[in-house]
Amino acid sequence: MSNLPVPDYDLVIVGGGISGAVIAKTVIEQAAKKKKFPRILILEAGRATALSADKYDTYVEAYHKALVKVPNSPYPASRSAPQPDVLDIRPLDNTDADPGGQGYFVQKGPMPFGSDYTRSLGGTTLHWLGTCLRMLPNDFKMRTTYNKGVDWPIDYEALKPYYERAEWDILGVAANVEHQHYPGLTGSPEEFFKSNNTTKFHEGSYHFPMAEIPSSWLDQYMAHTVDGMTISLPGKAKPEHTFKIKISNTPVARNSTPAAGYNVVGAVGNADQGQRCQGNSSCIPICPVQAKYNALKTLYELIVKYPDQLKAGEQPGTRARVTIQSQSVATNVVHTKATSTDKGKVTGLTYKKYYDDGAPPQGTPPTEYTVTARTYVLAANAIENATLLLASKAANTSDQVGRNLMDHPLLLTWGLLPENVGAYRGPGSTSGIPAFRDGAFRKDRTAFRVEIGNWGWNFPEDTPYTTVLDLVGGNEDGKAQLHGRELRKRLGEILPRQFRIAWELEQDPEGRNRVTVEDRYKDALGKHRPVIDYDLSDYMKASLPWAAEASRQLFEKLGMKNKVPHLPCEPEKPGRKKARSYETGDYTHYACDDASKVKYGGETYAVRGAGHVVGTHRMGADPTTSVVDSYQRSHDLPNLFIVGCGSMPTLGTSNPTLTMTALALRTGDEIAAKELSA
Amino acid sequence: MGNDTPTHPDPKGIFTDISVELTGFDRAELGGTGMVDTYYDTLLRMIGEREAGQLFRYAQEALDADRKEQRKDNAAFKKAVIDNPRFGPVALGLIKLWYLGRWYPLSAAYRDRFGSTADDVEHVVSGQGYREGLVWAAAGAHPMGAKPPGFGSWAEPPSPTP
Ligand SMILES: Cc1cc2nc3c(=O)[nH]c(=O)nc-3n(C[C@H](O)[C@H](O)[C@H](O)COP(=O)(O)OP(=O)(O)OC[C@H]3O[C@@H](n4cnc5c(N)ncnc54)[C@H](O)[C@@H]3O)c2cc1C
Ligand code: SF4
Repeated sequence: MSNLPVPDYDLVIVGGGISGAVIAKTVIEQAAKKKKFPRILILEAGRATALSADKYDTYVEAYHKALVKVPNSPYPASRSAPQPDVLDIRPLDNTDADPGGQGYFVQKGPMPFGSDYTRSLGGTTLHWLGTCLRMLPNDFKMRTTYNKGVDWPIDYEALKPYYERAEWDILGVAANVEHQHYPGLTGSPEEFFKSNNTTKFHEGSYHFPMAEIPSSWLDQYMAHTVDGMTISLPGKAKPEHTFKIKISNTPVARNSTPAAGYNVVGAVGNADQGQRCQGNSSCIPICPVQAKYNALKTLYELIVKYPDQLKAGEQPGTRARVTIQSQSVATNVVHTKATSTDKGKVTGLTYKKYYDDGAPPQGTPPTEYTVTARTYVLAANAIENATLLLASKAANTSDQVGRNLMDHPLLLTWGLLPENVGAYRGPGSTSGIPAFRDGAFRKDRTAFRVEIGNWGWNFPEDTPYTTVLDLVGGNEDGKAQLHGRELRKRLGEILPRQFRIAWELEQDPEGRNRVTVEDRYKDALGKHRPVIDYDLSDYMKASLPWAAEASRQLFEKLGMKNKVPHLPCEPEKPGRKKARSYETGDYTHYACDDASKVKYGGETYAVRGAGHVVGTHRMGADPTTSVVDSYQRSHDLPNLFIVGCGSMPTLGTSNPTLTMTALALRTGDEIAAKELSA
Repeated sequence: MGNDTPTHPDPKGIFTDISVELTGFDRAELGGTGMVDTYYDTLLRMIGEREAGQLFRYAQEALDADRKEQRKDNAAFKKAVIDNPRFGPVALGLIKLWYLGRWYPLSAAYRDRFGSTADDVEHVVSGQGYREGLVWAAAGAHPMGAKPPGFGSWAEPPSPTP
């Protein structure tokens, strides 16, 4: 290894995703108030392609051309910074087998971990949906309230001001307070959101920076049909739990009509574009106009306002400076061990820079560097943070690094409604049913959130492709079963009636669900691949029959009582002997070759990953049971911050990024206050 | 659709007539996608010029017959093309191509008998082909990731599909 003389930085951040970008922005803005001007380096494993408007468009084109349209299909994969692929979620058949045939994750099972992330500048927010729900007060104190999981070291009230900043200053969230009907609150939605910032919000009456994204026609149809109905589910102690159904518009980081004083942030390098969501209906995997927040927006602001290059006449130390270095994969956190008198500390960060995709690092110019800084931040996504720490044997006195891996495993149910509801229009989801997000039942089973999908059966059945293939048929005899006007008419009758719901189950933290590293599993740069052990707890599985039963009652109310039979072992591929008849009803079924099957109470379910990768370096007050403190500072190595969804001790039913952003703002404040003053 | 259209001596014209018959979209709608030339070339790439010529000849005769007898169900076309083991599988491929913008390979049984070219593998013909897939219009929607209908359009009642 050869070291080039590299300049010192105040802060080195690993990962150019949302958490890294928020830390950099916050530190700079808070430090400026005290006339401090840090110099920051962001190391990014992937390419920086998307940061210019015209190159972003090449990702959109790649998506249109992709044969298989999965979240990562627009983003070029690299052997030097490989990324997981939801199509490759098979568990390892034989743990000694050659891992070469598997995807990026080494899946040890028994369940495959079904979520992915993106290793490209901008990170996974390039293909997230943008849902931005706050966590509920009880989500922060699961141990105290329900004797499950663990409590957080902070609570909802402490995080509230950071939620507000996340919604206004980073993500740009569109929602109406009065339409947020959450269970388990003592007061109204207005009270839940009531702000302490009375300068900005008159008498603390909070409002979002943008008005809600209009609810889809489907949502309105649902509200009309099911609002006010009661769903009853069988309990353990209590014989019956009842839930009053109300369709609620979902807060989302997607541009809408701004409130007074809010500037809508459009596409990077092309601010006029993406001022409003236009209904491209492809938020996952890519918003063509960037009406949806992605971390490129924050990163772009940084490099425009604080370029590392000083202009002629500018003196060093008079403004902050940011460098983003792409194709630079962090490989080792160099650190000293704790002694009897002193804690350890990080002394450097090693990274490999690659030029030719996948080429092993070699010769000149040197490709391995070690950079030093005052403070270090790992912001590489929960799974990558964990592999990096484990490979570096750092910050793990608690033995919790990599453990408590969580997601929102989701159960999909789908059917054909009696009426045309205009499926395949609008953002992926505009509303949900929050009724099951909290309640006494959490002592016995996990809570869940209900997401109403606007894109027909695209998620469960890869429609509209498969619907066309099914109707056209001809796999047996080579003769089209339907063609011409009849085919066109039939598609018009079926596709706009397709309906699906995702029942997103809260996963509880378990030490056995974990990321580890093994020397035999490495990528092209010689960096460890994540090895994953993953399963669902009985506490969690107990919610599967509940979700299925709630779905049954809801479908019945929607006129889809009829359970449309399917072959017991129906593959999710076109090629059935006969096209379906497509009568109104419930089409939920699971393919028997599904890698994510779960058996519970004599029934078989199949779950999907939600992309919510959480819990691998959890926060807590006790250094023996947690990796970081409530500021995401490593208990072991005080000049190291480990940030992102990995710090969350429990998951609740909110998609995690808003909470993660609030935590990152709090960490940024802490770094600006404590680290730069040294 | 095709009933009062004069016969075309040019193969692309016949190709369009066949496409109208297979998709249920009229000439103007198909022309509007800008994909006629591309798909014509795709067909030739998949089965070769000679075999395509045969398809055009049979289809033309059948369409002429249907027209002459003023048959609404276009039974002659169905018999000569859709139900014909030689052309049926090709018609199947063309329907999917027009609706989905991607080519699905001809069946193994077909290839054993009639052969196909090395290009006959599953592929997305082009980004434009994806965007112009007829399935989106048939659904009363727009392609996911393109031709956005505008802010709030999804809150309006769906337009009735034809
Ligand atoms: C399909 C999908 C939909 C989602 N929808 C939602 C949603 O609606 N709402 C919500 O709240 N969340 C959603 N999420 C989750 C959300 O995307 C993540 O929580 C969020 O992006 C995490 O941010 P991050 O900055 O921690 O990590 P990332 O966004 O993953 O960024 C990490 C960055 O670090 C880089 N990196 C990785 N390893 C290294 C290394 N060794 N060296 C240098 N750089 C490295 C990566 O290339 C990447 O740029 C979704 C996720 C998926 C997959
Ligand atoms: S619906 Fe379209 S414009 Fe709106 S956020 Fe999604 S992809 Fe972007």
